[in-house]
Amino acid sequence: MSLRQAERPARRARPAWSDVAFNIWGILVLLFLFAPILVIIASSFNVGRLLVSWDQFGFDSFLALLAKPALRDAVWISVQTGFIAALVATLLGTLAGIAMARHAGKWVWWFLGLLLLVSVTPEIVDAVALLPWMVFLGQDLGMSIFNDGIVRLVVGHSLFSVAVVSYLVRARLVGQEAKLEEASADLYATPARTFRKVTLPLAMPAVLAGFLLSFTLSLDNTVIAAFVSVSGSTPWPVYVLSALRSGLRPEIAAVSTVMLVLTLVALGLVALVLRRAGDSAADIARTMAGS
Amino acid sequence: MRRRLPGFLLAAPAWAWLTIFFIAPVAMVVWFSFGYKPSIFATQATDKLSFDRYAEVLTPTFFATFQNTLWVGVVGTVLCFLIGLPVAYWMAVKAPPSKRGLLVALVMVPFWTNFLVRTIGWQVILAPEGVLSTMLQGVGFEPLAILNTRGAVLIGVVYNYLPLMILPLFVAFDRVNGPLREASKDLGAGKLTTFFRITLPLAQPGIVAGVLLVFIPLMGDYITATVLGGAKGNMVGQLVASQFQTAQNWALGSAMAVVLIFVILLTAAAGAILVWLVSWPFRARNRLVIGTAPAAASVPVREEVAA
Amino acid sequence: MSPEPEIRILAPAGAAKTIRRELSRRRFLSFAAAAGSAGLLAACAPSGTQNAAQASGGALEDRLSIYTWGDYDAPDVLDAFTAELGPKISLSAFNSNEEMVAKLVGARGTSGYDIVVPTGTFVAQMAEHGLLAKLNHDLIPNLQHVDPEFLGRAWDPDNEYSICKAWGTTGFVYDTTVIDRELKDWNDFIDAAKNEASGKTSLLDDPAELTGLYFWSNGIPWNTTDEADLAAAEAFLVEELAPHISAFDSYPGGSAIPQATQALMQSYNGDARLGMLESPDPERWKFVLGSPSTELWMDNWAIPAGAPHPEAAHAFIDYVLAPENAISELDYIGYHTGAKDIEQVAADAGLPMLDLVFYSPEQLATMQEGELTEAQERIVQIWNKTKAAAGA
Repeated sequence: MSLRQAERPARRARPAWSDVAFNIWGILVLLFLFAPILVIIASSFNVGRLLVSWDQFGFDSFLALLAKPALRDAVWISVQTGFIAALVATLLGTLAGIAMARHAGKWVWWFLGLLLLVSVTPEIVDAVALLPWMVFLGQDLGMSIFNDGIVRLVVGHSLFSVAVVSYLVRARLVGQEAKLEEASADLYATPARTFRKVTLPLAMPAVLAGFLLSFTLSLDNTVIAAFVSVSGSTPWPVYVLSALRSGLRPEIAAVSTVMLVLTLVALGLVALVLRRAGDSAADIARTMAGS
Repeated sequence: MRRRLPGFLLAAPAWAWLTIFFIAPVAMVVWFSFGYKPSIFATQATDKLSFDRYAEVLTPTFFATFQNTLWVGVVGTVLCFLIGLPVAYWMAVKAPPSKRGLLVALVMVPFWTNFLVRTIGWQVILAPEGVLSTMLQGVGFEPLAILNTRGAVLIGVVYNYLPLMILPLFVAFDRVNGPLREASKDLGAGKLTTFFRITLPLAQPGIVAGVLLVFIPLMGDYITATVLGGAKGNMVGQLVASQFQTAQNWALGSAMAVVLIFVILLTAAAGAILVWLVSWPFRARNRLVIGTAPAAASVPVREEVAA
Repeated sequence: MSPEPEIRILAPAGAAKTIRRELSRRRFLSFAAAAGSAGLLAACAPSGTQNAAQASGGALEDRLSIYTWGDYDAPDVLDAFTAELGPKISLSAFNSNEEMVAKLVGARGTSGYDIVVPTGTFVAQMAEHGLLAKLNHDLIPNLQHVDPEFLGRAWDPDNEYSICKAWGTTGFVYDTTVIDRELKDWNDFIDAAKNEASGKTSLLDDPAELTGLYFWSNGIPWNTTDEADLAAAEAFLVEELAPHISAFDSYPGGSAIPQATQALMQSYNGDARLGMLESPDPERWKFVLGSPSTELWMDNWAIPAGAPHPEAAHAFIDYVLAPENAISELDYIGYHTGAKDIEQVAADAGLPMLDLVFYSPEQLATMQEGELTEAQERIVQIWNKTKAAAGA
């Protein structure tokens, strides 16, 4: 197995029935995923009191974003938290996942047990446990970093995500033979270099998927977020749930629409840059892996 | 040349992180479960320790609710798997490589809209006088009456947990893509044979990851199933949350959480053993066909679930 | 079982390292106590010191942090306050009173919030356990504009700690195209739930209102702790009513009414009003105030102990109580703010469906105040059993 092996365009021509079926199924499922989002986009142009009941078309709800700093603040807190929590979880989880797959031993079962415990513990338990713990760390031990709203949220949101990334990276690498790393070592590459040049690219799709999942999970976290947040750092999901009491306004949908548009623009830019670079991250990984 | 020590240490940051921010605080909550609730304005006290709270957990309400939860958990996970598997395969194998990153992003983007807001989107679609119902009535159907039924429970659950299934499967298929499948085809194996004998076994760690990531959090979740499913989406996590929040009995809430964690892990283990037994003949055959690879993949899997 | 002595050592902890280490270790052991082993509320007990009003009419601080329900104040009023008086407002949101209380207890006086908005049932205990600071009425002259009817309620007879922010009551809404007879009280509600509206009925997702349904309809005091009453409520709810319930929804007005998902819904008056106003066919729905008796819940302005900006907090409470701001608030959230003579102002402003906002003294007399009692756990148990029965 050579380190470099270009992907051969093996499957070509004659679209088989199975390919057509897969395409249809894939597109149907994407439609299913986007169906409620399309409704929300439409609702954001509703000029009415309630998000769910259409009154008439207009842009008023977008103006509300300017008028209500609480909305913008909440979204911004969530985006920041999501990004940092995903970074932390991806870093910790990737290292742990690689360690589990490549340096197996008895400890792996203990560690997997811990990850299972993390994922099986109801969020409300994490929440009631973390609040006093953060106060203890921040005020009694004087580690003032834990009095910061974002830090607390990041810690709370990262727990499950560390487990997710670890599972993904381990699943990616386990059983996949370590011959590449061995070959690299035989060629006198330092462990650090082997790690950077071989192991990491091999794990890359799992790392990226893990990052995306972590970010997503953090954006939606309500239970832990509600408990650990501090004055002035209400995250978006907590705000939305709390606003139910007086009826959700279309501005909530407008926020979602703006976020979606920004996301799609960002994705488009990334796609453009990658195309310029000539290869997607996944392909780089595959090429490196020679699989 | 390979040194063992640094490899093992790669997991140290995660160990440390989870020890400080998970084990330490949660252990304290577990300790509460041996205490009691001293008065209506106090949540728990631990000056007298006992197992009494655990005895209080196992009531008929707990079992009835758990039964409902198990149904939602199992059916929801199976549906996510059946729907997600072809999608992940499509994304990883069938779609052009240049589009794969985009597809992964597209699967996640809908979930960057707030959970409650997405739910409202579904309500607008599924309501008796909603979008879908109006369309169906236009072609002569009855008004849609799906909200607050078991069907709605499943729509809510499948919708919200699908990415947790698709992404691990995608990562797994993406890795299997390549020489082994080519070899299988070159040797004259049909598409289905290749899929079931090569692709699926090699993707097994990803499948296990996906199933775990859907089933385990779903069993503890008490919100997702209720938002579209109403009363039919009653889950056992609700009992735990109600003790911590409304009843303000942290002692009983902790005991319930501990019991729930055990019961979920036992269920997962039982499921794993069942799958292991059922798939025994298939694994035996695979081993003959392509040597050691699937065996290497399946052994850790089995233990992972039981862990 | 309370953490007091250790809490006090905290300040001089900068001294010798060894003391600090020992302290940390002991703090760790008492962490549970601080968190709650001494109780959710009791942990803040050693705070008698905190209760004196810290505001004396000095200069306003430049900030104000309000911890309240999301989207619960008119943005115009908030903006005008900042424009006129200076303090910049930051809003934080909570989803339940329990969550808010847990937060204040957990933070031990350092939460950073200047105003919180607890529901009446929680005010007495919060005050008793030192979570709230006393209000300085001299700084709230607009208190004179609050209707005495909504002052001096059971949880705070002298309004030492709290002033009405908004209040509401509970009734039900039904779909007149499904239920073509007239429903008048809770017994009619129950009857319709078992018949025409079976499988299309929702109840409020709160144990107090769930059991309340039985107590109110049978003339039993809402806050009863008598086990016989509770057992009867349980038998009725679990065996008779639960099979007909399709959802537990605290805010049907936000979606179930405009979308016509249910035929019969227990709901708060303001939420029902909103849902009916926004329904494509408002005539289809009818709201009935619960009778023979029902509840009166009240969210209150209060200042937490240790609030960093007490002057601004007092100024804000005074500001929202001014009649012109009270009407803006009423219009925005759809609940009565408790202001005096506001009914005429609202009618003059042309606000719709005011019969769901204002109630006559006779009706007010049938509304009972909730109370946190020893029966709370039992009520939660009934709630869980009813949910299990409805979900089966």
